[in-house]
Amino acid sequence: MRTPFKILFIVLVFLTSACETLLEPQPVDKLTDDLVLNEPADVEQVEVGLYNAFRNITPAVIIAGDFTADMLIHNGTFTQYREFGIKQITPSNATAASLWGAIYNTVYIANFILERLPEIGGVSSAQRNKVMGTAYFLRGYAYYTALYSFGGVPEVLTTDVETNRNIARASEEDILNLVLSDYDQALDLLPDEPVNTGYAGTFTVLAALARLHLYLENWEEAEDFATEVIDSELYELEEDYSALVNEDFTNEAIFEMGYTLADDPGTSALGLNNLFVGRREIIPSNQVIVSLASSESGDRFSSMTFNTSDLNGTDNGWSVAKYGTADADNNNIVVFRLAEMYLIRAEARAQQNNVTGSNSAQSDINILRVRANAPTITTATKNQMIQLIEEERVYELAFEGHRWYDLVRTGRATAVMTAYSSNWKEAYEKWPVPLREIQNNPALVGNQNPGY
Amino acid sequence: MPMVRFLLSLFILFVSLSTAVAQSTVTGRVTSATEPDGLPGVNVVVKGTSNGVITDVTGHFAVEASDGQTLIFSFVGYKTLEVLYQNQATLNVILQEESKELEEIVVMGYSSVEKREITGSVTSIGANDFKEIALTGIDQALQGQAPGVQVTQSSGTPGGGISVRIRGSTSINASNRPLFVVDGVAVETGTLSLRDFGGQDDNALSLISPNDIESIQILKDASAKALFGSRGANGVVLITTKRGKNGITRINFDVQRGIIDPVKRLDLLNSKQLLELQREAYTNAGLNPDAAGLIPGVTDAVSTDWQDEVLRRGVLEQYQLSASGGDENTTFYMSANYRDEQGVQLNNRFQRMSTTINIDRKFTPKLKVGTGITLSRSFNQRVKGDNFLDGVYSGALKSLPYDVPYDEQGNLVGPSSPLYAGFPNFNPVAQALLPRFDATTVKILGNITANYKFNDNWNFKAMAGVDYNDVTEDQYENSQTAIGGYLPSVGGRGYGVFIASTATTITANGILTFSKEILPDHHLTAFIGSEVVYSPYETGSVQGRLFPSDDFTYITSAGIVDNGSSFKVQSGLLSGLAEAKYDYKDKYLVALSFRADASSRFGENNRVGYFPALSGAWRISEESFFKSVIINDLKLRGSFGYTGNQGIPDFRFMGTWSGATYNGSSGIVPDNLENNYLSWESTREINIGVDASLYEGRIQIFFDSYRNKTSDLLFAQPLPFTTGFGSNWGNIGNVLNQGIELGITAVNIDKALKWTTDLNISKNNNEVLYLAEDASPNAGYSAEGTTATNIIKEGYPLGTFTGLRFLGVDPATGNAMYKDLNNDGEINVDDTDIIGSAVPDFIGGITNRFVYGRFDLNIFFQFSVGNDVLNLTKASLVNSGQDMTTNQSTYALRRWQKPGDITDVPIYRVSTADEENPNNFHSSRFIEDASYLRLKNLGIGYTLSPRLTERIKLDRVRFYLSGTNLLTFTKYTGSDPEVSTLDGSTAAQGIDFYTLPQVRTITIGLNATLK
Repeated sequence: MRTPFKILFIVLVFLTSACETLLEPQPVDKLTDDLVLNEPADVEQVEVGLYNAFRNITPAVIIAGDFTADMLIHNGTFTQYREFGIKQITPSNATAASLWGAIYNTVYIANFILERLPEIGGVSSAQRNKVMGTAYFLRGYAYYTALYSFGGVPEVLTTDVETNRNIARASEEDILNLVLSDYDQALDLLPDEPVNTGYAGTFTVLAALARLHLYLENWEEAEDFATEVIDSELYELEEDYSALVNEDFTNEAIFEMGYTLADDPGTSALGLNNLFVGRREIIPSNQVIVSLASSESGDRFSSMTFNTSDLNGTDNGWSVAKYGTADADNNNIVVFRLAEMYLIRAEARAQQNNVTGSNSAQSDINILRVRANAPTITTATKNQMIQLIEEERVYELAFEGHRWYDLVRTGRATAVMTAYSSNWKEAYEKWPVPLREIQNNPALVGNQNPGY
Repeated sequence: MPMVRFLLSLFILFVSLSTAVAQSTVTGRVTSATEPDGLPGVNVVVKGTSNGVITDVTGHFAVEASDGQTLIFSFVGYKTLEVLYQNQATLNVILQEESKELEEIVVMGYSSVEKREITGSVTSIGANDFKEIALTGIDQALQGQAPGVQVTQSSGTPGGGISVRIRGSTSINASNRPLFVVDGVAVETGTLSLRDFGGQDDNALSLISPNDIESIQILKDASAKALFGSRGANGVVLITTKRGKNGITRINFDVQRGIIDPVKRLDLLNSKQLLELQREAYTNAGLNPDAAGLIPGVTDAVSTDWQDEVLRRGVLEQYQLSASGGDENTTFYMSANYRDEQGVQLNNRFQRMSTTINIDRKFTPKLKVGTGITLSRSFNQRVKGDNFLDGVYSGALKSLPYDVPYDEQGNLVGPSSPLYAGFPNFNPVAQALLPRFDATTVKILGNITANYKFNDNWNFKAMAGVDYNDVTEDQYENSQTAIGGYLPSVGGRGYGVFIASTATTITANGILTFSKEILPDHHLTAFIGSEVVYSPYETGSVQGRLFPSDDFTYITSAGIVDNGSSFKVQSGLLSGLAEAKYDYKDKYLVALSFRADASSRFGENNRVGYFPALSGAWRISEESFFKSVIINDLKLRGSFGYTGNQGIPDFRFMGTWSGATYNGSSGIVPDNLENNYLSWESTREINIGVDASLYEGRIQIFFDSYRNKTSDLLFAQPLPFTTGFGSNWGNIGNVLNQGIELGITAVNIDKALKWTTDLNISKNNNEVLYLAEDASPNAGYSAEGTTATNIIKEGYPLGTFTGLRFLGVDPATGNAMYKDLNNDGEINVDDTDIIGSAVPDFIGGITNRFVYGRFDLNIFFQFSVGNDVLNLTKASLVNSGQDMTTNQSTYALRRWQKPGDITDVPIYRVSTADEENPNNFHSSRFIEDASYLRLKNLGIGYTLSPRLTERIKLDRVRFYLSGTNLLTFTKYTGSDPEVSTLDGSTAAQGIDFYTLPQVRTITIGLNATLK
């Protein structure tokens, strides 16, 4: 009777010794929470992760900026894009959810860095400042995007899940103050010249401030910040506009999101090349084609390409050219470039009645016109100049995600968009808060943007 | 010491034989009711001696015996007969077939019991039940054979995916697949390939040849399953392979050849019809069809029937050779099998070679060792299918008849040809013929078992086994295909992928059993044991592009190798288990079982799960008060217990970060949110059943009623993005399955004509009882005009369809009318309604078998009643003008054309960029009743007369003709009611989206046994 138990005992001992390796295997391709950002070597990795998350904001901004407005039309089958095409945007729109998600993914990692980095010893102050500055700046830019896309969004300032899963919308003013304060912090901490324009530096923040003050109609500040960036001489306009269409890291880029062959978004939901060229889910609208083909646009016509074999039925045959495949040298997404600084300054100057003459709106615009081999502006009134700048922004910044934000901030959205689509309504000056957020965050219930 | 004793006993035996008294030769013949020509292979032994022979092919025997001795005639499946020898001249004996149902030994996983002692709900399927059906895998063998088991083949692809559900779906996000155990070793189920092929996924179980299966046991209630603990909630399928028997070596050869056709082809429009329809769609939208290039006489100059171009009649071949036999100490079974099945799609082929060797050896009377090994290799030439823009069958349905597969020189039309239609018509013929999607799978399934019997009461059994699956996927799409040539992001010069992965499961256990009659009539059987299961999984893949030319098809020649990965995960389970069974006079039976599982998939706080079960049975027929001439055996069963489900991805309880890159640098991003409380899904199961045997076993009835409540559903719970995460895994819901099952086996006629009927029918109600969040998670596909095709909602089953409610076509305008659910005057997302369910009201199968002389006939019908299918194919093929790049079905000819038309197909009007086409919104228009009755199998066999057989030196020769899926009765208008595009999905089951229909197979076969 004893032998059976002896055998069982041996088996049990054998099994128990196997227990540890069997039941606590460690993932080989993952890091567990407690191992992240606990030593200096991790700092750079988390910073790269932050840029990786931030990069996902930018394709959605291009859809928002150009497709919510009148630059692009729908030519495919996906519901989320059809909604923008026919101007019947719903809270369940998947692109709205992905923009919202990308914003808060960025905010999470930024907050993670801001919470943890100060506690890690052994990090050089230069690196600490750079990474803290990056976290402030990218968080600020994420909230800036949220503010102008969705309005007052929840102000998430920690990584605490319990707090953040039940968090109400903040006022637009609070978000704006947060953006301004984040930009200020970043300005102090970031280096003047980052490794390349794929990373943020002092002048990136200044460019962001120039744009923000333009949006806020603080003309003087907008002009000053734009001037500071232009005068830094770190950036120069490309001689040939087609370089902006066909190349990454041009001389005029101030901040651009870098993709390499290995991490190109490809056919994923926000792979712009796939949407614009591969599947041609989204194509230029007839009126932007006319606009870019005008003589005032000049070389900027090269932002599009045409192929007869695509011309069929409602398909006008044109494609957006600015976003190339993984193999091409133009798969990056530009956030700020020098030409925009000229446009900001021109508008700020025009608004301050500095319309023509040297160092005026006219001279800034003509810099871009000359580069594009387009006729220069000889004379204009203030109002004419402001209208010219609106058009100039279409030529120059086509498919870079500006149009909708421009129309809304200048109060022109209703006028322009009602003429473009009978389905347009004022509610579309903001995107809807994604339905899934309202469904999963009790504090958002009943706080949808009006009109959705 | 035991060895010495063993030799000694052999010596004594030898001596006793050589000193036997003078004997005469007894001759005679053994027959039976069904074998009037003589029963071969019967053991004839002189009682008390080892003197024995075996009857020959014609049932004759000759044995030495002396007057007054008793002859014992025994044969598997027959009652053993003892006959006194009194110097008869010839001794002719008729053996009675044994009604052995109750004594049959049933394997229950860690122990075996006699059938009459079972206290739970177990269904057994024998090899005879499926021997003639052209099965690719063993999961198919379960189809229609067992009450409570729903088997749906996802498509007609050979070696393709199959969904098996036992007593409904218990889970939303964790696995719903039953645990399959072959000879004690847990095996892989589901798809092994890492590249999605729609409903045409591969299937790990197709590597196991059904011909080597002796029997299958399906464990359905807690009493039987709780011993499988955290893996038991979805049911357990135990498979026992064939083993040798003491006796003469039998060699069996089986050959099958057959033809394969799809069960149905859809009726699509030809060029002329389509052109007319498309012109009308433009005209209705106020556009000029000529301007859109739709010109009669030009556009419709050719009319290609793409289904004819890509579908073919496939050929099936299968050869099986097996040998089994042994002596009293060693038995063996060995087999080799080759199967070659051409799919009905061009270039689609599944080949399998496998061999099995099972050996059992009795080393001493106490120690038995058995080993079994199956080596199998499949070679699967796959094609893309279902909802792939560049699929083959899907392409054949969608592609416009205006286009051609070959140009005038006879070359395939590809992206470089001016005849290439381009997105989304990619020449499905080229998509079938040009890509190489080869998957080679090698499976090694082995086990070794040692059984040591200490004495009559104590027994120790140890088992160790491995299931090793190695898949190599070798894929190349050349420059004339959609991906390799057309897609700009790939570069237009070929696309190659190579993936290698291995999935291994190692199972080892030790079981100590005690069995004793503790008091007269009081029997106690108990065991205690432990088990360890370890599953490492490794994979690596690489992708290459920009090949120099189409002659270079391997990545070594690729211009860019720009995507690759490799990783490893491992999971483990460490368990202790015990069971105690008690019976009094075989009349009152009680069993108590318990398993504790520690799993690596769960957090520290919930690592160990406990799964107890209690069951009992009362054999009323054994009571003295029970007097019935009709009912011979009546048993009441009941069980209660808990099982679990741990089928979620690894490491989900940990907070983790994973690799990410930016601008050429590598870094890390958050990946998963920590949940240290993550735990099992736990199912509480109650089962009550009755087994009855009537008219001396001629009618047997099995009835079960159950109620299974699964709580703590493992769920990727949506989080607001403000947390930084989209979801995390939690235990947040309850699902209820309750139902009834009935099985009847009847011998209707048992004369010269023998007719038996097996009927099974079951009904399962599935209901989501509770979801922790208010959100109603959407499932399935996103849909036009509404949120999604499926919803998971409290009070409704998993597999519920949502959409707008279609009210018909407005005779005045031709527009679709939908129900304005919230009466706000607008039709939008808020009007989404529940519009159907993929869960059938009841399912079942009925098999009739007839034997008359040497002929046998087998007719098997399968049915499903009350299930809906979402015909998404129709949403594309009757699309009201939403998409001009898709061919339409002839159903579209019923469209509304002028005011006053009464029809169910809305007006065709082409969609323009700034106007929505609400006529093709996702609605109940695409939900169809997919109830069906299907003649799943019809088999006719003829066995040659033994005299003839003997002349060609064979034991038994049988010819047969068998057909599967011969007839289908259904109202469903799509190609097949029995498909599911989302292979293995639960919340979105029953969707037909360009899914290849099942195939009709007609085979002829020959089965020969020699010895």
